[in-house]
Amino acid sequence: MSGGNKSRREFMKIAAGVAGAVVLTSAAKKLIAATVEKPSGEVERMHQELLNALKKSPSQRKWIMGVDARKCIGCDSCSVACAVENVAPVGTSYRTVYKVESGEGKDLNRFFMPTNCQQCDDAPCMKAANKFVPDAITKREDGIVVLNYEILKGSKEAREAAKKACPYTAIVDEAGGFYTANTPKLEQYENREIFEYGGEYKNKASLKGTIRKCTFCLHRLNSGMLPACVTSCIGRAMYFGDANDSSSLIYEKFKTKAAYILRPENKPQVAYLGYKSKEELSKVSSESCIVCHGQ
Amino acid sequence: MVKLTRRNFLKTTGILGATPFLAKVATAEEALAAAIVERDEYPLAKPENQIYTVCLQCNTGCGIKAKILDGVCVKIDGNPYSPWTIQPHIPYKKGISDASKIEGGLCLKGQSGIQTAYDPYRITKVLKRAGKRGENKWVTIDFHKAVSEIVNGGKIFSNVPGEEDREVEGLKSLYALKDPKVMKDMAADIKEIWHKKMTVEEFKKKYAEHLKTLIDPEHPDFGPKNNQFMWIHGRLKAGRSEFFKRFVQDAFGSANFNGHTTVCQGSLYFTGKAMSDQFEYDEKDKKAKWAGGKKFYWQGDIAGSEFVIFVGASPLEANYGPSYRSRAITDGITEGKLKIAVIDPRFSKTASKAWKWIPNKPGTEGAFALGMINRIIENKKYDAKYLSNANKAAAKADNEPTWSNAPWLVKIKDGKPADFLRASDLGIFKYKRKFTASDGKETWYELDGFVVLKDGKPSVFDPNDPEKGEEGELFVDTTIGGIQVKSALQLLKEEAAARTLEEWASICDVNKDDIIALADEFTKHGKKAVADIHRGVSQHTNGFYNVLAWYSLNLLIGNYDYRGGLVEASTYDIAGEKAGGPFNLKKLHPGKLSPFGISIIRHETKYEDTTIFSNYPAKRPWFPFSSDVYQEIIPSAGDAYPYPIKALLMYMGSPVYALPAGHTNIEILADVNKIPLFIDSDILVGTTSMYADYIFPDISYLERWEFQGSHPSITWKVQPIRQPAIPPIPETVTVFGEKMPICTESFMLAVAEKLGLPGYGPNGFGEGNPLMHYDHYYLKLVANTAFGEKKDGSGKVDEASDDEVNIFLKARKHLPRAVFDSSRWQSACGAENWKRVIYVLNRGGRFEDYEKGFDGEQVKNKYGKQINLYLEKVAKGKNSMTGKGFSGIATHLPIQDVLGRELKQSGKFQLITYREIYMTKSRTISNYWLLNLLPENFILMNASDAKEQGLKDNGLVKVVSDSNPEGVWDLKPFTKKPMIGKIKTTEGMKKGTIAFCLGYGHWATGASDVVLNGETIKGDTRRAKGIHANAAMAIDPYLKNTCLEDIVGGSVSFYDSKVNLVKI
Repeated sequence: MSGGNKSRREFMKIAAGVAGAVVLTSAAKKLIAATVEKPSGEVERMHQELLNALKKSPSQRKWIMGVDARKCIGCDSCSVACAVENVAPVGTSYRTVYKVESGEGKDLNRFFMPTNCQQCDDAPCMKAANKFVPDAITKREDGIVVLNYEILKGSKEAREAAKKACPYTAIVDEAGGFYTANTPKLEQYENREIFEYGGEYKNKASLKGTIRKCTFCLHRLNSGMLPACVTSCIGRAMYFGDANDSSSLIYEKFKTKAAYILRPENKPQVAYLGYKSKEELSKVSSESCIVCHGQ
Repeated sequence: MVKLTRRNFLKTTGILGATPFLAKVATAEEALAAAIVERDEYPLAKPENQIYTVCLQCNTGCGIKAKILDGVCVKIDGNPYSPWTIQPHIPYKKGISDASKIEGGLCLKGQSGIQTAYDPYRITKVLKRAGKRGENKWVTIDFHKAVSEIVNGGKIFSNVPGEEDREVEGLKSLYALKDPKVMKDMAADIKEIWHKKMTVEEFKKKYAEHLKTLIDPEHPDFGPKNNQFMWIHGRLKAGRSEFFKRFVQDAFGSANFNGHTTVCQGSLYFTGKAMSDQFEYDEKDKKAKWAGGKKFYWQGDIAGSEFVIFVGASPLEANYGPSYRSRAITDGITEGKLKIAVIDPRFSKTASKAWKWIPNKPGTEGAFALGMINRIIENKKYDAKYLSNANKAAAKADNEPTWSNAPWLVKIKDGKPADFLRASDLGIFKYKRKFTASDGKETWYELDGFVVLKDGKPSVFDPNDPEKGEEGELFVDTTIGGIQVKSALQLLKEEAAARTLEEWASICDVNKDDIIALADEFTKHGKKAVADIHRGVSQHTNGFYNVLAWYSLNLLIGNYDYRGGLVEASTYDIAGEKAGGPFNLKKLHPGKLSPFGISIIRHETKYEDTTIFSNYPAKRPWFPFSSDVYQEIIPSAGDAYPYPIKALLMYMGSPVYALPAGHTNIEILADVNKIPLFIDSDILVGTTSMYADYIFPDISYLERWEFQGSHPSITWKVQPIRQPAIPPIPETVTVFGEKMPICTESFMLAVAEKLGLPGYGPNGFGEGNPLMHYDHYYLKLVANTAFGEKKDGSGKVDEASDDEVNIFLKARKHLPRAVFDSSRWQSACGAENWKRVIYVLNRGGRFEDYEKGFDGEQVKNKYGKQINLYLEKVAKGKNSMTGKGFSGIATHLPIQDVLGRELKQSGKFQLITYREIYMTKSRTISNYWLLNLLPENFILMNASDAKEQGLKDNGLVKVVSDSNPEGVWDLKPFTKKPMIGKIKTTEGMKKGTIAFCLGYGHWATGASDVVLNGETIKGDTRRAKGIHANAAMAIDPYLKNTCLEDIVGGSVSFYDSKVNLVKI
C-alpha cells in the first residue's frame, strides 16, 4: 500500500476509534452526499442521524438505545432478526422479549418488555470477568461493551462470572451447535461468516467456547445501518442514536422525565418508556418492571 | 480503552480480507468522514448483495430484501420501497445504492424464511409412491419418466399389492375435447339448454360425433372429460396463477381450477362480491343487469382513523398483516389519536391495546352489529345525507365517492322482501341509454329504472346517471300502485329492531352497555371511524350475513373511500389488458380452449337450471354466489357429484391439515377408485401430499416468480413482484430444450410438450414467439407492470441507469443459467422494455409514492361506486338444499347445518382457533428460529373453566367431539395421531370457549419418518409437538364427509364446533 508507515499509523488510529486518516472511497462519498436529503418518518430520520454521528470520531459519539414498551406488541420479530443477523447460539437470541399477563376483568392487561445488553457504563460483567483475566471485557469510547472472544474462550471462570453478574440476563454461551444437526442435511446458512465487532469469524466453530451478547450491531453501525432490532421492529417501539446529539429523535423521546432506566447503578445505555396499566398509557414508571425484576 | 497491539488490531478491524488502501490526503472535513471507509463495509450492506422480492411466510406478502453471502441467503429484511414495511415508504425514484442501507420492518416469520427455503427435508427429485397411498413409502423417479407415466397412464402402480391390474387413465385420454370451436359452440348451447331453449336430445344430435368427448352425453352440462382433470391450489398468487390457468383451462380445457378461498375468508369475499354488483349494461347478455361484482373485501385505513372496532381480527398477530398494520395501531394509540375496541372471545395482543375488550359468544358477531345498528337508527346518528343518495350523480353532488341503495324501494311479496320496484311496475317509461364499448362501438339499450319515494311520491331514476341526481326518503313502508314496498334501509331497521338491545346482548352474551358504548363512540367521529372485520366474523355457517351486518353498519356512517374508513386494494395490471400491451395475455394463446360445464364444486351455477336438477335437498349444496369452495372439492369428488374425477393436480396446499374436519378428506384421497391419479406439487412430503401418487418438488418463494397483489387496507396502488433470489433447490431438468429446475411450471411445460398442448413451444405465444421456459412468460408480466396502464405509455417507469443495470447483473451472479440468463430474460420481455424491467425488479415491484395515496379527506384509490345494502340477486336466489329463498338484507341466523337445521352438539366448550404471530397455517413448522420461541402450542382456556374441570396448567388433555369421539387423526394407513395438547389457563378467554393456535401438531412436513428408496429418513420430532384439533371440528350431519359450511358465502365454519376435554 502507498503512503508507508505514516498512513499505517493513521489507519491504526481509526481502528481504535480516533479521528484521523484520509481514505475516501466512492462509497463513502455517496454516503455523504446522501445525507443532504430531508428524511421523513422515524426510521429514515434515525438513519440520517446515524450517518451524521458517523462523521464524528468514535469518541465523540455515544450510542444509546430506546424502547417504547407501549408500542411493543410482543411479536419477537426483533429477537429473531437479532438471532439471524448475528448467527446467535442455537436456541438463543441476544434479545429477549418478556411477556406478562396480569390482572383480571377491567384490569386485565398484557404487556411486553424487550431487553438486551444495556452496554452499561459501569458494566457489572466487566468488573466480574476482568477479576479473572484482565481485558476479558472492555468498553469502547462509543459506549459499546466488548466481549473479547479469544480471551474469554480461555477462562471458564471469567465467563461464568460475567453471566452471573449481569442482571439483564444478556449473556449467552456459544456451544457451537446447529439447528440442522441431526437432520438429513447441515444447511450452509448456519455455517456462514459471522460479523461482530468488525471481526472476521469464519463460522460457528471459530466462536465455539466463548460467551456472546448484543453488540448494538456494531458491524452494521460502521456501515451506516441501524441495529437489526431497530429496523425490524414492526410496532415501531425501537429507537437508536447518539446521546451527544441533542437534536436527535432518541434525545427528544428518551432524555425526558417520562423515560426510565433499569438498575441505574450500572449506568445502562438503554432507556425505556412504559406504562403501568392500560388506562395510564401516558403515565410511565418502572413499577411494571419490578414485577419481574425485583427492586 | 483498547490496547492496540498489532495482533488485536487485525482481530478487531479486519474485514473479509479487504486490505486498507489509501488515496491522496483529503480535506479536514473529508477526513472526519473516514470513519465510513470501505474496509468497514459490511457485505450485506452492499446493493449488489441484495435482491428485492416478496415474502410468503404468510399471505401478507411484505416486500423484502434477501441478502446474499457466497450465494446463500443469510438475512432477510423489509424492502423500504414497499409500503408494507416502513412509513412513509421511500420514494420509488430513490437509487438502489442509496436504499441499500435502509430497511423496513419485518416480522419474525419473514425473518425466518431462510429456514423454509433451506429445509433439510426438502425434496430435490420427483417422488413416486412405492406402497399404498399414505403409507409414506417413496422412490425417486426420473422427471420425464414420471411425466410419461402421468400422460400415458396404464398399469403404473403394478408394483403395489392390490393395484397390479389397475389401469390408470393418463392425461392424454382425459384430454378428450381439443377443438376450440366445438368447445365454444357446446358452451353456448349448454346455456341454451339451461334457458330451456334447447333439449338434451337436440344437443346430442347436433354434436353426435363429439359425444365420446363428454363425461356423460345425457348430461352434457357436465362438460367434456377434460373436466375430470381437476386442479386444487392452496397458497397461490397472481402471475403464477395465470401461468397455471393457462395450462389447466386454456390449454387442457378443464373447467376445474379451484382454490382455497372459503377456508380463509370466503364469506368476506363473497359478501363483498354481492355488495359490489352494479346495475350496468352487460355486453355478453346484451342487456342491463346486476354484474361486475368483484371477489374482494374492504378493510379499515387505521392510520387515518380515530376509532376502530376490530371484530374477529387481530392485526398485531395475523390479519394482513402485523408488519404493515401494527405501527398504525401503536403509533395512533400512544399519540392519543386513536382508540380501538376489540370484539373477540380471546384477549388477543390487539385487545391488550384496546379501550374495550368485548368477549362475545363465537357465531354472534352479526347480532352485535345489528344491536349497534338498532341503537344508531333509534338515535338517528347515521349520516342521513349519505344514505339519501340513490345514484351516482347525487353522490357526486355531495363529493361522496360512493353511494348505496339504502333508499331504493323493494317489493314485498308474501310478506317477504323480493326484487326492487321498477319503472315498469308503475307503467312508467324505460330509459334509453347508450353503451360505448372499449372499441368505441355504441349500443342503445333499455333501462328499467329503479324507484325511491321523494316528497311522498315515487320517483324513477337511473343508478348510474352521471348528471341527474336522485335522493330518496330513508325509511319507507307504503303501498304504491297496489304494490307493498319498503326501502332497503327500512328493511335493515326492521331486522335491527326485531330484538331489543337486551335480547341482542343476550344472544352475544355481552353487556348491553357495551353495545351502546360502541354504537355511540362509532358515531362520534364523522367518517373517521370504522369497523374492521375478518375471519372471526366470516368463518361461521352464518358468515355471509355476519359480514353483511358489519358492512351495513359502516354504510350508516358512509365511511367508504375515506381516510379512517373502509378502503380497498389497488394493484397495477400485470396481464397487459388495461394498456393493451406490451403483452396482452388474452391475445397470446393460439388455439386457446374455453372450458365449460358444471364445476366439481358447482359454483356460480343455478341448480334448477341444470340437467341434474331433481328435487330438494340436492345431493350436495350448490353455490350460486361463491367460488373456490375448498371444503367441497375432495368430498364432491368422493361422492362423484356431479361427476367422478379421474386425475387431481394439487399445489402448495394441504386441505387435510387446513380444513376444519379435514380428516374427512383422507379416506377419499387414499382411495384409488375415488381419485385414480393424484399428483402433488410440494417442497417436501406434507400433510396432504403424503397421500399422492407422485410428488413433484417445487421451488420455494425465494426461488421463484409471482405477483403478490395487495390487501384492502393498503391505500397505494402497488404490484409487489417475487423473483428468484437464490439458486433452486430441486434438480435441473430439460424441457423444450431449456434447462430449468423441477417445479410446477416445468411439470406443466413437460406435459404440454408431450401432449402437444396449444400455447407452448417455439410458437407458444404466437408465430416465432416462444414459451419454452417459464421465464418467457413471467418477464412479460414484469414488462407489463413496468409499462403501466396507459395505452399511450405515459404510465411507464423510468429506465434503470447503467449503474443500476450493473448492480442488477452483479446481484444475480450466484444464480445458475437455469433460472437467470440475462439474454433469455431480455428477449422474453423485449429489448425495448429491458431497462424498465430492471428498474422494477431492482425495487421488488412497483409502488406508488406515499403522497399519491391520499386525496384530502379521502383516499386516492377509490372503490368509487355503488354499494348494495340490499342484495337483490341474493334475494332472488334459491337455496339448493331447501328450495327456499335467501335474505337480501343483513339478518341474524343461528348456527345451522346445510339443511338449515340448528345443530345439537353435546360438547361443553365452543372451540375456536387463533393465530400466534409465530406460525402461519402449516408451512412454518420447519422454522427453528420460530420453534425456539414457541416450541409448541396449547389449549387456551379460561382459568375458572379449567378449575371447574379439574385441569391445571401444562396438564394434558385430549379433544373429543360428537364427530370424533375417539379424539384422533385417522391418518390411514399411516398411523393414528391422538389430539392431545397442554392446557394453558388465562383470564383472557371467554368462559365456555377454548382455543388453540394453528400451525402445530404435524404428522408430516418433516415431523415423521419417511421411507425413501428403501431407507428410512428420520423425522424431526421438534416439528411434531403441540396439537392440531381440526379433526375434532363438527362434520355436517347431512353431508357426512364435510365440515359445517355457509352455503351462501361458502365459508367453512371454524368456530361453531363444540368439544369436550378428556384429562390424560
